[in-house]
Amino acid sequence: MNNRMVINYTPGPTLLHKLSGFTKVFLFLVMTVAIIATYDIRILVPLLILNIIEIVSMKPNYKPILIVFAITFVTVTLLGNVMLFLVSPDAGLNNVGGNHILWQGPGRLYISKEFLWYMFVVFIKRTTSFASVMAFALATTPSEFASGLNKCGLPYKVCTIVSLAYRTIPDIANDFVNIRNSMMMRGVEMSKKASVWKRLKNTVYLLVPLIFTAFGKVNDIANAMDLRGYGKHKKRTWFAENEPTKWDKIFRVLTIVLLIATVYYVVMYRFINPWPAKFWCPWLAREEVISVNAIDTIFFMDWFKK
Amino acid sequence: MANKSFGQKLLGTWNTRTIVAVAIGAALFGVLMNYGGIPVFTNTSLTTAMIVPVIIGAMFGPLPAFVAAGVGNVIADLIGGWGMWFDWSIGNAVAACFVGALPLYGAYITEGVFEVKHAVIYAILCALGNMIAFGVVTPILTTVFYGGDLNVTFLQAFAGSLSNILVEVVIGIPILFLLARRYKARTNLEEE
Amino acid sequence: MKEPIIKFKDFGFRYKTQKNPTLYDINLEIYPGEKVLILGASGSGKSTLCNCINGLIPFSYEGEITGSCIVNGVETKSASIFKLSNSVGTVLQDSDAQFVGLSVGEDIAFSLENDILPRKEMVPIVEKNASMVGMQDFIDHVPFQLSGGQKQKVAIAGVFGEKVEILIFDEPLAALDPQMGMTAVSLINNISKESEKTILIVEHRLEDVLYKPIDRVILMNEGRIVFDATPDELLRSTMLQECGIREPLYITAMKYAGCSLEGNKNLCDLNELEFTKENEEKLKAFFQEKREELPEIHGTSEIKFDHVSYSYSGKRNVVDDISFEIKKGERVAIIGKNGAGKSTAAKLLCGIIRPGTGTITVEGKDTKDMSVKEIGEKVGYVMQDPNTMIVKDIIKDEVGLALTVRGNSQEETDAKIQKSLETCGLYKMRNWPVDSISYGQKKRVTVASMMALEPDVLVLDEPTAGQDFRSYTEIMKFVNYLNKELGKTILFITHDMHLAIENTDRAIVFTDGKIVADDKVFAVLSNDEVIQKASLKQTSLYTLAMKLGLDPEETIRSFIEYERGVK
Repeated sequence: MNNRMVINYTPGPTLLHKLSGFTKVFLFLVMTVAIIATYDIRILVPLLILNIIEIVSMKPNYKPILIVFAITFVTVTLLGNVMLFLVSPDAGLNNVGGNHILWQGPGRLYISKEFLWYMFVVFIKRTTSFASVMAFALATTPSEFASGLNKCGLPYKVCTIVSLAYRTIPDIANDFVNIRNSMMMRGVEMSKKASVWKRLKNTVYLLVPLIFTAFGKVNDIANAMDLRGYGKHKKRTWFAENEPTKWDKIFRVLTIVLLIATVYYVVMYRFINPWPAKFWCPWLAREEVISVNAIDTIFFMDWFKK
Repeated sequence: MANKSFGQKLLGTWNTRTIVAVAIGAALFGVLMNYGGIPVFTNTSLTTAMIVPVIIGAMFGPLPAFVAAGVGNVIADLIGGWGMWFDWSIGNAVAACFVGALPLYGAYITEGVFEVKHAVIYAILCALGNMIAFGVVTPILTTVFYGGDLNVTFLQAFAGSLSNILVEVVIGIPILFLLARRYKARTNLEEE
Repeated sequence: MKEPIIKFKDFGFRYKTQKNPTLYDINLEIYPGEKVLILGASGSGKSTLCNCINGLIPFSYEGEITGSCIVNGVETKSASIFKLSNSVGTVLQDSDAQFVGLSVGEDIAFSLENDILPRKEMVPIVEKNASMVGMQDFIDHVPFQLSGGQKQKVAIAGVFGEKVEILIFDEPLAALDPQMGMTAVSLINNISKESEKTILIVEHRLEDVLYKPIDRVILMNEGRIVFDATPDELLRSTMLQECGIREPLYITAMKYAGCSLEGNKNLCDLNELEFTKENEEKLKAFFQEKREELPEIHGTSEIKFDHVSYSYSGKRNVVDDISFEIKKGERVAIIGKNGAGKSTAAKLLCGIIRPGTGTITVEGKDTKDMSVKEIGEKVGYVMQDPNTMIVKDIIKDEVGLALTVRGNSQEETDAKIQKSLETCGLYKMRNWPVDSISYGQKKRVTVASMMALEPDVLVLDEPTAGQDFRSYTEIMKFVNYLNKELGKTILFITHDMHLAIENTDRAIVFTDGKIVADDKVFAVLSNDEVIQKASLKQTSLYTLAMKLGLDPEETIRSFIEYERGVK
């Protein structure tokens, strides 16, 4: 199952791989904030390109990434957009603030230029988020993830949970496969031959031994940790956290710049001089934008009004 | 567990054993999310991962369940490689608090205590927790984080919460009864 | 006289969750630099004793302590586990669970991390400790790339701090194959010689530990110390049988030959052992005596592998063009080290994975056309750890699970459950909770749950792992009953040489996915080349034969014939 995992257990050779855990976690967190806080294609596209450059620089095995992206992501987006069109054709008006109708369908269905723009920006936003997670996952080992989180201020006991979980995943996956095999030999049907209801009930046969096997190791692991002084002090250091190099310093400064830029953007465009709609759109001037209250767009809000 | 205060039951006791158990719970969550799905149609499956916070909650309380589901979800996302979606991770963690609240109403699985009345409360909390998590928390976060349309996310989250409730009740209750009976036999004071 | 480093005085301990104490009246003094074996069957209290020394009691296990235990000048009752862990290093039984880091370096550094040592200072210590156990080239390796023996070396390096005076090894051999076990015993011996640290080894495998010299043996039984002297004296006494410990095989052979154990020098070390003239003659006569030959088994073909190959990734064949045939009623040991392909062969047999090329037939039927479920009715596979198999809470429900899910009628199910329970000697316990019985009994329940489907073949994966001699003997007696009385074909997947000698007729040896030997068990065990190739360990009978100048094959054959004749 190891080849299915995107996250690497062993550190890679490239520049990004060699950055310290803190640098990578800090960059990822700021990047996530920047992606989440902005609905503006002028910010999202540069971030997307940046992340793609990062991914390419690590020379990963593209096949699994592209497969997941193609199957899960594109189909979900496609299905989501069909649903969006059926449920909320007003999404363009509500989020972008314009209503240039391109096609008027039966009943309340229609497509506007703004609807397409909204779909496009949301897709870019999600793709950017996906790319930033990929870049992070490819660059970081689980221990660097844990040590980096600790340096970012998360209590070390929570960080240990992250690294220990990664430590036990392959063992548990192995137990899972063995238990499923042994249940299959005893005749517990898990394949599509059985009905969904039957399979659901048969899962109990799988989960109960899995729970006992997995949690049966708790005492041994906890003892091994206690005996080596885990929890002795309020802090701890990390072997996996490399000393910062010149590149770490450069990346940390760049991350701080990104953070300041994001805060500046949010303060400017949301508070001091707020854009009237959620999404910025190239062909709508500020005074053309129609502002819609998000709460009013929820379908069941109409019921309360009546 | 019975003689602990409400606060202790809510927060759990964070010693090394709890940390290890929560980590194993998170790993189990990750494994089940990726491999333990029950296929319904192509590309759609019922996930059994939400059973994990139920068990962690039963052993250590709702906050450990919350952490196990939250960390487990992040890890599952990283293993699966489909991106990290904080709207759903946080939603799952919130739901975990409710389904893992067993010690708060006197169901102490590791001491063998789980009765019909606990099962009823558990089922109600499953419904309530999923409704709050996926009916309120996740849709709002989806809209705020990723600019998703509220109406669409409501519908998606509704479907998600229904399947979670189904799994938590139909599989969860028999497992809880079975675990309680098995743990009861283990807490035998007499040496063999 | 030096001061003792560990001193128990009228010490007793009772776990909070148990009614009766686990340790009674412990009076024990261990001196700095000693190498002590703490010997005892499961439940004898030997692990509890160690947990009292390293501070897990009372830190992690609540309970009631009586008397006093002083370790390195500190009364453990009032000391913190952290203070004790500075002077006591413990290598736990499960080297996999002990490995908490995500790489070798991280795991060795774990205690340094907890001491808030800056990384700069950590690196040289980690490198030094790693090279001490020969793992310096593996610092970046992740646990999933390591063998059990390597993980154990990492565990040793991880507890080997500057101030550590006492090293405790809790069942160091439990998870290792025979050759790795030998390496581990040698490594512990080297540490003891070079570092002058006090070493405590907790084990029940006496013969394997005695591979290297031990200063003193402390034998425990039912919570008490029943014996405390040199290994030679222990072997001469009758304490081993009484306490459920297996004696070394050559000692058994000496007893069979009617030798007196008195007067032989270096009794505990076969290589240095000097027999008395009388004993030497008795042994030679015993091994050359003509005995009734082992019966040949002429059953019909039960299982047949015909040029079977399989690979997981499509690159390297894990099982490479293997062919063998097993007759009905045979008992066969499938041996080889981890990763040699024996488990893959078992999975192929059960239909969990299907051969890339070649055919597998069970009772003359090609399994290609059979589902896993259908094969499961012919071949019962019992996994190593019973906890991975048990679902239900009551024994009879667990045994009947396979019948219930097959949707058999109630009467038929009940009848079959009853039959299986009776065969397996569990009928009286049918309404007991599964979780209230011992590990060995659980193992029996898992066999019973396979027997409910009335298969003709039973595959037992490492049936003796994690069990002491008593439980081992009990299970083997039961399996042999299934073989002799019911004619079941038995396949053991194992690297336990004792098991092979005592309970099988034939051995198939796997190395790198190929079969390197398939012959009578005594022929395989006396073939030095095969033993080396498969990372197995020579039994002491082989060494004994060489020492006496006898043919090893004849010697082992004679021993087996005698033993089977007696039983």
